[in-house]
Amino acid sequence: MKIKKAVITAAGPAQRELPIQSLIDRDGIKKTVLELLIEESIQAGMEEIGVVVFPGDEKNYANAIGKYASQVQFIPQEKPMGYGHSLLTAADFVSDHPFLHLVGDHLYVNRTKKRCARHLVEIAEKEECAVSAVQPTRESFITNFGVIGGGRIPGSLDLYKIDRVIEKPTPTQAEQKLMVPGLRAGHYLCFFGMHVLTPAIFQLLDKEFRKNEGKILGLSDALNELAGKEKYLALEKNELRFDMGARYGLFKAQLALAMSGKDRDRLMGELLEFFTMKELTTKEN
Amino acid sequence: MAYLLEIIQSTDPEVKNRSIDQFCTEATVEEILSEAATLDEFRRSSPNLYLRVRSLFFLYAIHRFYIPGKENVSSEGLIPYEAYEHLLKRRFEEAIDLFLKVQEKHGANEGISSGLADAFHQLAFQTLADQVRMSVKSTPGNQWMFRTGHPDDHPLSIRKELLRKETNGLYPLLHESTPVRMDITHCGWSDIFFLGMDFPEGAQVLNISVNLTINDGKLAQIPVPPIETFFRIIDEPVLRLTSVDLETIRSITRLDEVFDFAKDYLGLLKAGIIASGLIPSGMEGSGIPLSVLLENMVGRGKGIELVTQVNNIPKGSRLAVSTNLLASIISLCMRATGQTDKLTGMLLEEERRLVAARAILGEWLGGSGGGWQDSGGVWPGIKLIKGVAANEGDPEFGISKGRLLPFHTLLNENSVSADTRKKIQDCLVIVHGGMAQDVGLILEMVTEKYLLRSEKEWEARKTAIRYFDEVVEKLQAGKIDEIGKFTQQNFEGPIQTIIPWASNLYTETIIQSVQKEFGNHFLGFWMMGGMSGGGMGFIFDPEYKIKGQEFLRVVMSETKKKLRHAVAFAMEPVVYDFQINENGTYAIMDQNDEALLPSGYYTLTTPEMLKKEMNTLTSCQRVELEIIGKLYQKKPQFENFISKLFERMIPQTGNEEVFGQSLDVVLKDLGFDKELHRQIKNDLKLGRIGLAQNRLPVNNKIEDVLPDEIFHQTFLTDPGYFAAGLEALKNGELAIVTLAGGVGSRWTNGAGVVKSLNPYSKLSGRHRNFIETHLAKSRKIGQLCGRSYPHIFTTSHLTHQAIESYLNNEKNYGYEGAIFLSPGKVIGQRLVPMERDLRFLWEEMPQQLLDEQAQKMQVNLRNALINWAKEMGEGEDYRDNLASQCIHPVGHWFEVPNMILNGTLKNLLDQQPQLKHLLIHNIDTLGANADPLLFGFHILNGAGLTSEVISRKLDDRGGGLAKIQGRLRLIEGLALPDEKIEFNLSYYNTGSTWVDIDQLLKTFDLSRIDLNNPEKVKQSILNISKRMPTYITIKDVKKRWGKGQEDIFPVTQFEKLWGDMTALPELNCSFVHVDRMRGQQLKEVSQLDGWLRDGSASYIESICDWGGR
Repeated sequence: MKIKKAVITAAGPAQRELPIQSLIDRDGIKKTVLELLIEESIQAGMEEIGVVVFPGDEKNYANAIGKYASQVQFIPQEKPMGYGHSLLTAADFVSDHPFLHLVGDHLYVNRTKKRCARHLVEIAEKEECAVSAVQPTRESFITNFGVIGGGRIPGSLDLYKIDRVIEKPTPTQAEQKLMVPGLRAGHYLCFFGMHVLTPAIFQLLDKEFRKNEGKILGLSDALNELAGKEKYLALEKNELRFDMGARYGLFKAQLALAMSGKDRDRLMGELLEFFTMKELTTKEN
Repeated sequence: MAYLLEIIQSTDPEVKNRSIDQFCTEATVEEILSEAATLDEFRRSSPNLYLRVRSLFFLYAIHRFYIPGKENVSSEGLIPYEAYEHLLKRRFEEAIDLFLKVQEKHGANEGISSGLADAFHQLAFQTLADQVRMSVKSTPGNQWMFRTGHPDDHPLSIRKELLRKETNGLYPLLHESTPVRMDITHCGWSDIFFLGMDFPEGAQVLNISVNLTINDGKLAQIPVPPIETFFRIIDEPVLRLTSVDLETIRSITRLDEVFDFAKDYLGLLKAGIIASGLIPSGMEGSGIPLSVLLENMVGRGKGIELVTQVNNIPKGSRLAVSTNLLASIISLCMRATGQTDKLTGMLLEEERRLVAARAILGEWLGGSGGGWQDSGGVWPGIKLIKGVAANEGDPEFGISKGRLLPFHTLLNENSVSADTRKKIQDCLVIVHGGMAQDVGLILEMVTEKYLLRSEKEWEARKTAIRYFDEVVEKLQAGKIDEIGKFTQQNFEGPIQTIIPWASNLYTETIIQSVQKEFGNHFLGFWMMGGMSGGGMGFIFDPEYKIKGQEFLRVVMSETKKKLRHAVAFAMEPVVYDFQINENGTYAIMDQNDEALLPSGYYTLTTPEMLKKEMNTLTSCQRVELEIIGKLYQKKPQFENFISKLFERMIPQTGNEEVFGQSLDVVLKDLGFDKELHRQIKNDLKLGRIGLAQNRLPVNNKIEDVLPDEIFHQTFLTDPGYFAAGLEALKNGELAIVTLAGGVGSRWTNGAGVVKSLNPYSKLSGRHRNFIETHLAKSRKIGQLCGRSYPHIFTTSHLTHQAIESYLNNEKNYGYEGAIFLSPGKVIGQRLVPMERDLRFLWEEMPQQLLDEQAQKMQVNLRNALINWAKEMGEGEDYRDNLASQCIHPVGHWFEVPNMILNGTLKNLLDQQPQLKHLLIHNIDTLGANADPLLFGFHILNGAGLTSEVISRKLDDRGGGLAKIQGRLRLIEGLALPDEKIEFNLSYYNTGSTWVDIDQLLKTFDLSRIDLNNPEKVKQSILNISKRMPTYITIKDVKKRWGKGQEDIFPVTQFEKLWGDMTALPELNCSFVHVDRMRGQQLKEVSQLDGWLRDGSASYIESICDWGGR
């Protein structure tokens, strides 16, 4: 199994500005969020990248991806019918191949040398199945994410077999259905916004979409069904992930990039100076 | 292997289900103690809950029932105070160790065994409670609530649908309707948690969800789900809780108030909120403002309102109203916070199970508890509920055989046809008999008896299981008429064999009346819940159902009227109409102008709103008022709304005034001594008298009495005593005086019924009250001496009329001798207690620490009661209750002088001049009789007073026999300077005294001739009265309100006690140590079962002659 295509969903009507926001990366170079996501995909070995966009955003986005324009295809989602539908829009682009999927409003900052998407793709190719990146998350935050239930693969420290997926569960549901042996109390494996999926997902999404015609289509129900149909694994990643749509999300992502890059010491000094001045001013007042 | 340990450890049912009786009855004390030591060692190390608990119950039974009375076991032995303190603080293991150490040193004795029995018993129940709590906490779906300690960690949010305002400006209303449940089989209380966890195969019930309405014989109404709960967002940052039926509304702004269950009547609502996860348990004590939590959940400036309404079902209905109300609140809040799949409609099976588990948690939080079938109303229709074996993965696996939660199988129309369902409705009459009862005790007894496997009870349980199968089979076959036969047999057989107290005189009188009236058309009685007298079922031929309803309404009311002085009733009996509810708990969302709460809610809240300026109301409140103004005439539920509103808004004659007026009349009629009352009130307020001042000065030397300083019944072997006693009886020298002026506050927790008339137990096949029992003993001795002797019952304003009318109606219970009533002449008026006395009682006196949550509740309740006392005015007259509950008898010292004052003694001596002695005893000293041996001893010893004492056991609290400054005398517990001293006193006062009449009169400075001189009598008694100490006591008094609701308040009263006569130096007093069977008293209902089982009841039967009744 070889994975050569990636799909980035960036068509959310409320988040259309996020992918084109600029950040300074680790090397001190100004890049857009979308550029960073495309780089993550390319470094994972992707050759073609489909970006699902709100109709009309193609031009703005094309301006935001600089040198990668030749590898990227924009796929407009005609109607905002939900996350699942946005992925389904890329079905023709993906065709009958497994693919890497990233969400356009999240940014990943690695703690290790190996990029997150790269690692995910390697595992998917090795195991020849769908793999989603997950992260242990405290129960107080799980109502924001898709959460998996399953068990650790024997002999592996970071790989799990997925039995069930529930979107934004309450801790009550989570305790009953999503407990994963080996995790700390009150922690669950939540999606990281990064998956390698098989084309089977499109059939499931399509079936779901037709069944609930006109309704918003999520992704988790289809993933839950996928877990029942074929081998589907989760890879535990402890990388930093930032939801840029959240309050201060963009700022936090920038801070994390800066703190792990070449300007770290300079920035630390400036921040320290800023805090000291603020403290002194507060005392004087 | 040790015999008893083998029973406990065996997996062979033949061995495992053996009773402890056989071995212990035949074994010597040494053999029993050796078995006990092995069991104790085993239970300390066994990891298995069931084995541990059963060992503890065996050990309890050994020390409670089998060691006392064995050869080589002394009846005398001091209980170390330190061990008692351990028991109070719930340090059971430490108490056991200490008791065992003393036992090892001094050998087995009854005192130490009583301590060990209590410690093992409490430890067993504590172990069980801990396990239930652990299982509930570790149930998947509940655990997170105990970890969530900060609002920022709170993972739940309110569903979007509820956060959107409607076009009219109000938020939508989530409205849950929940049925109650009835248990058709009553399989021997098999839904008790421990029974289900240990004997899952025998834990089974058939449970039906029902809608109800009261049938008052007027306009028929369609039964509806009796429980309704409502949830909505409000535009005030508070948590507003309202119970419409309890007429209580509270806006909560502090998180700690949510966890204060005893502060108001909203404890159940709060427990529901917590158990649902809306405010998780982990936040208790976090000190965080509630507004922070509300802001996170519903947004700034907004709050949550929860309203509950129970439609016309009184408390104690045995239909599990409170558990289903709790379940309804939990389900509602779970829906609102997205913990259910759908916001409205029926719940999914897995959601119902979670609601049931959380209801158990809520009950534990709120300090109540029933069985696992109680949340049956959550499920639809008819269902079988059975215990389930614990498997790997269950939190109970390896700890108990069964799981905490049972499995529910819904019986659909294929199993129980629509026709059968209709038949059930056509045949069955459900009633609430109106009795007030505490079922908690019964459930403890059931657990204990199950574990001890006493032969009779174990056989009864097996029979109940057979009946269960029969009932299910008949139900599926549609033979409702045959079900009645089994439910009645079950009630008369297994149920009463396991727990005799499940039945009572009231229930049996009604059943007999129905049987007499309807003959074969009455198909059977059906006990609901823990015991009869409250919710009950009567099965009739369908064509007689309506007549049956009418008859029951009348017969229950008449029987209640007849028994009202003898039995505690909480309310007027009612008859219900019911329908099977096929939805279980069910929710709808009311929107726009339909989003209105029950009219009772607005009757409660509108007056307050109307008092405010419109611009100070929130926008939602303004809109709501406008809508009601517009719609109240059009909506049927608002019928009579305006008149009810007026009733509430315009000050009516308050209860206090009504109570007060009748109290003044009563006080006037009884010749209440206002001057004495004023003085006592004044002294109390100024702190001259009070609980602390009851005590003797600490410099008094109080010592124990040595065995050779008193006489012992066992050693009165000289036949001359018996002969002298018999001779005096034959000569008519004795009269019996039974003190029956008190109402027995402890017997009914202050319900105000006449204890002497309470049909406390069945003896020789019939329910007997205390008066009948005392007369039956006198009859038996009368036969021995060939002459009936006079029997005097001293009465008070609270008991006189009732006793007189009972004796008249029952023709003195056939007693052949003369019966006199000696009416009380002195009454006191109860006072609101002083804070310092309440604090002294609750904070300085030794107090029993309760189980964790119950203790928390108690602390909250006590704070609330202290606030109540302050609000009412400390030391002021207590008037806020029925007149009879505001006055009190003033202690039994007065009951004897009263006999002199009111002429009873004179009449007696006029009729029987040879009379020389009295035997005075308390109403609850059932073993006291005119025993010729003791009487003869009293005569020949020549004492003025001969007081009977017994060896002290753990429960014998309240003073005893002591040597004070070198003189032997009885001392009240209230007067002891230090509670530790009591534990150094070997002998306990039975309250029974033989009196030489002439010596007593001499003490009062009177002679027989002086009895014709009322003025002299009065003055003489006053003189002695002044020398008698006055004790201030705090008693519980019940105040009833609403439908079967009761509050218990502490009130202050004063009393003078007869035992203090032994302190008078001029009176020659003697003391005799008698057998426990003779001297023990029945103070609390909880003693009854042990009293029946330890042979005490048989002893009483042996000294009675019921005269063929």
